[in-house]
Amino acid sequence: MTVGLPQLLGLAAMLFGIGLYGALSRKNAVHVMMSLELMANAVNINLVAFSRFVTPEAMTGQFFAVFSMVVSAAEIGIGLALVLAIYRRKKSVELDAVQELKG
Amino acid sequence: MSMGYVVLIPLLPALAFALLAPLSRRARTRAVPLAVGAVLGSLALSIAAFLAVWPGGHAGEPVWQGVVTIAHIGDRALSLGLQLEPVSAVMLLVVSLVGAAVQVYSLGYMHREERIGWYYAALSLFTAAMLALVLSNNFLGLFMAWEIMGLCSYLLIGFWHEQEPPRLASIKAFLTTKVGDLGFMVALAVIYAEVGAFDFHTVLDHAWTAASATPVALLLLFGAMGKSAQFPLHVWLPDAMAGPTPASALIHAATMVAAGVFLVVRAFPIFEASGVALTVTLWVGLVTALLAGLLAMVQHDIKKVLAYSTISQLGFMFIALGAGGSTAALYHLVTHAYFKSLLFLGAGVIIHAAHTQDMREMGGLAGKLPVTSLAFASGSLALAGIVPFSGFWSKDEILTVLLHEHQYVAFGIALLAALVTAFYVSRLWFRVFTAPPQQAELHEGHRSMLAPMVVLASVTAVLGFFGPTLGGFLGHEIPWPQLATAAISTAAAAAGVALGWWVYGRRTSVVNTQAIKQRFPHAYGVLANKYYFDLTYGYFVVGGYDALTRVLAVFDQRVVDGAVNGTAAAWRRLAGGGWTFDQRVVDGAVNGTAAAWRRLAGGGWTFDQRVVDGAVNGTAAVVKAAGVRVRTLQTGSVRGYQTLVAGAVVLLVIWIFVKGV
Repeated sequence: MTVGLPQLLGLAAMLFGIGLYGALSRKNAVHVMMSLELMANAVNINLVAFSRFVTPEAMTGQFFAVFSMVVSAAEIGIGLALVLAIYRRKKSVELDAVQELKG
Repeated sequence: MSMGYVVLIPLLPALAFALLAPLSRRARTRAVPLAVGAVLGSLALSIAAFLAVWPGGHAGEPVWQGVVTIAHIGDRALSLGLQLEPVSAVMLLVVSLVGAAVQVYSLGYMHREERIGWYYAALSLFTAAMLALVLSNNFLGLFMAWEIMGLCSYLLIGFWHEQEPPRLASIKAFLTTKVGDLGFMVALAVIYAEVGAFDFHTVLDHAWTAASATPVALLLLFGAMGKSAQFPLHVWLPDAMAGPTPASALIHAATMVAAGVFLVVRAFPIFEASGVALTVTLWVGLVTALLAGLLAMVQHDIKKVLAYSTISQLGFMFIALGAGGSTAALYHLVTHAYFKSLLFLGAGVIIHAAHTQDMREMGGLAGKLPVTSLAFASGSLALAGIVPFSGFWSKDEILTVLLHEHQYVAFGIALLAALVTAFYVSRLWFRVFTAPPQQAELHEGHRSMLAPMVVLASVTAVLGFFGPTLGGFLGHEIPWPQLATAAISTAAAAAGVALGWWVYGRRTSVVNTQAIKQRFPHAYGVLANKYYFDLTYGYFVVGGYDALTRVLAVFDQRVVDGAVNGTAAAWRRLAGGGWTFDQRVVDGAVNGTAAAWRRLAGGGWTFDQRVVDGAVNGTAAVVKAAGVRVRTLQTGSVRGYQTLVAGAVVLLVIWIFVKGV
C-alpha cells in the first residue's frame, strides 16, 4: 500500500475527529487541552500533506506547519499555566468548576 | 505452507485491547471473555508456530519472515518486521502459556474487582507487546514493544491507584526503568550510526571490533539492567509488588523482566565481540544474584520474598550470559518463567486465603490448601534447585558453563547464591505451610485459579528432562549434568534447605528470630534497609531535584516577581504625580467649560429632556432588553462554548458544501 494524499487526509480527519470528540466530551481541562493538541496536529498533517502532494516545489505548507507548532506550543504553555492557576484556587481541574464568566 | 498466521499471534491480544479499551466500564466487564479467548488463540497459534519450526537446530535462520518498510530516510529504507526462528518459537510458547495461565487465573482472582475490564485490557496489551518483542526481527521494533510493556507495567502496578503505595510504586517503576531505557535508546542511535540498519541480520553480521562493540554492548546492557531489575537499578521491582498478584506473576516474574535477558541474547554477537561487556555482565549478575538473595532472607511480605528471588534468578541468567552461555541463560529464563509464575499464582491463592501478605501471620496452610501446597512445592523445589525439578537442570547448566570457562571465583559466588536461594525458599515454605496455623478459616482457591497452577506445576516437574532436546532445538548443545557439578550444586541446595529447616521448620511453635537479629544487629540492619539503596536514591536523586526546584522557585520569586512588582511601583508613583496635574489643570478647564454651558442651557432644558434624553434612554432600553436575552448565551461553562464553536464549524462546513466554495 502506498501512502498518498487521501490516506494522509483520512488520518488527519480521524485525528481531528478524535480530538473534537475529546474536547467536547472531557471534563478534565488537561484532557481537553490534549484533545486540542490532537486537532492542531491533524491540521499540521494536512498542511504538510498538501505541501508534499500539491505544491512539492514550494515549502509554504511545511513552514506554516512549523509556525503552527510554535504557536500551539506557546498556547499549551499558557493553557497549562491557566490550569495550574485555576487548580491553586479551586483545587480542581474540572471545567465545570469554572463558571465565573456566567453572564 | 503459508506462515502468515504468525502475525496473528501478537495481533489477537492487541485487537482484544483495542476492542476493550474504548468501552464503558460495564461493557468492558462483559467483554472480559474476549480477552481470554484472544490469548488462548495466541497460545494455539504459538504451538502451531513451534511445531512449524520443529525440529529446529538451525540457530538464527528464520523459518518465516515478514517485513514492512515504514519510511525512507535519504536512500535507506527503514523497516519493521517479525521473524520466526527457534529462539522466538521457544519464547512464544513461554509467553503465551504463562499469559494464558495468568488470564484464566485472574478470572477467579479478580472477579470482585470493579475495574476488571480495564485490568484485562492492560494485560492483553502487555501480552501483545511481549509477543511482538520476541518475534521482532530488528532492534527498533524490539524497543517499541519494550516501551509498550513499560507502559503496561506502570498501568498494572498502579491498578489500585486510589491508594497511595501502588501509585508511588508505579511512578518509581516507570522512572527507574526509564533510566535504563535511555541507555537502550542511545545504543540504538550508536547502532544506526555504525551499521545504518536495525534488523538483527545486518547488525549482527556487521564486522564489530572490540572498540566499536564495547560502547554499544554496555549501553544495551544498561537498558537490560533497568528492565531486568539488576543492581543498581533493581529498586523498582520489590515495590512493583503493589500491583495485582497475577499481573506480578506475568510481568514482574515471567516475561517482562526477562526481556532484558532476551535483549542480551539477541545482541549476543556484539557482546562477544566486545569481551569487556561480557565481564561486566558476569559481575552485574553475580552481585545481583547474591545480594538480592540475601535480601530475600529478611523479607516478611511473601510477594517481596518472591520479588527479590526474581531479581536474584535474573542475576543467574546474567551470570550465564557473562560466561558466554547464552543458551544456558535462555534455558534458565524458560524454566524460571514457568516456576516463578507458578509461585506467584500460588502466593495469590495464599493471600486470598490468609487475607494478609505477611508470612508471620500465616502458617499451617499445607493441610488446608492441598492443591496449592502441592503446586507450590513443585515451584519451590524448582527454585531451590532440587532434582528433578526444572530449576535444578538450568541452574546446573549455568554452573557447568562457569566451570567450563574456568570462572572459579564466579562459580563460588554462584554456588553461595544457590545456597542462599535454597535457604529463603525453605524459610518461606516452612513459615507458610508447616508452621502452626494462626487462622481458623482457610479456603482453597477457585477451580479457575487452581487449573492454571496445576498446568504450570506439571511443566515445572517435567521440563528438566527435555533440556538436551531444547538445546538441539536451539542449535546449541545442552548436555546432561555431569555427576560432579550436579553433586556440588545439590549439596549447596540441600545445605540451604537444611539450614532453613533448622531455623524455621524444626520446632512446632511459632519461630522467633529475634535472637538472631540481636546477635547480628548491623548485618540485619543493612539487609532490612535494603543496602540503603532507596535512601541513597531518595537523598541524592530525588532530593537533588527537589533542591533544584526550590532554587528555581526562589529565583522566580525574587528576580521575576521583583521585576514585575518594581515596574508596577514605578508606574504607581508616576500616576501619583499625574493626579495632581489632573485635578488642578484638567478638571479646572472642564469645570469652567461646564459652568459656561450650564448657564447657556437654562433655555434649552425642556427640549433637552424630551427629545435628546428620550432618544438616549430609548436606545439604552433597547440595548438592555437585547442584553437580557443574549446574556443567556454566556453560560460561563467552557464546554458550552466549545459546543457552540463546534456547532458553528459544522454549520460553516454545511454552508460551504451547499453553496460551493
